[in-house]
Amino acid sequence: MNTRRRFIGMSLSVGLLPLTRTHASEEEAQLAVEKIVGKAFVKSNRVKLDIPPLVENGNLVPMTVAVDSPMTANDFVKAIHIVAEGNPLPNIISFYLRARSGRATVQSRIRLSNSQRVLAIAEMSDGSFHQGFANTLVTLSACTEV
Amino acid sequence: MSKTSRSLVTMPSQAKQGDIIDIKVIVQHDMESGFRRDEQGSIIPRDILRGFLCTYNGTEVFRADLHPGTGANPMIVFSTVATETGTFEFTWTGDNDYLAKTTSQLTVT
Repeated sequence: MNTRRRFIGMSLSVGLLPLTRTHASEEEAQLAVEKIVGKAFVKSNRVKLDIPPLVENGNLVPMTVAVDSPMTANDFVKAIHIVAEGNPLPNIISFYLRARSGRATVQSRIRLSNSQRVLAIAEMSDGSFHQGFANTLVTLSACTEV
Repeated sequence: MSKTSRSLVTMPSQAKQGDIIDIKVIVQHDMESGFRRDEQGSIIPRDILRGFLCTYNGTEVFRADLHPGTGANPMIVFSTVATETGTFEFTWTGDNDYLAKTTSQLTVT
């Protein structure tokens, strides 16, 4: 093999080495979810997570999460947790609401390191859990670039 | 140096009793994730905001826990029901003893 080919081969293999870990393993994400919900069964019909399907820059991704809830003193959303399965740390942000929030809708801006599925888990006042998710395609990753 | 000026709140100054008002808070902070490297290749230490708290006349109405996955210059939009005339206090806390407080007045008619 000539030197040029060997050089190209070497640089290719170096490029494939994982220099830094930029995403959590699936178990880690699973663990993060388990920490929130425990052993409870998670239903999936009342939470709506809005993230643009195509994200140009993962450093600042607008996000809206809305939970279908009457927000009365007996039935309200206690907490909303946002979990990204492909981020180096799966927990992104957690919101704690009260019955007097009036509306279970929260907006924020998050970082995404990869094209991935983002979960929103809502904890209701009766102790039940509901989840919703959004799939996104990220072209410029957060964490490693800039 | 006061860090209070670095956080901003957008909310109505007047509301009818029982109305749901939207509150938008934004704070200037890099949210250094702890995953980036400098020119020498060493990791830049993590320096992020950890918590946000909103109180309405001393009662907690909204709280958030922030992690490195929250974008730089964190922004949160949430809502609350206008019950009485009073003061909202917004507190951001974070690494390296970061503390930023802002207050806002709401008149309920």
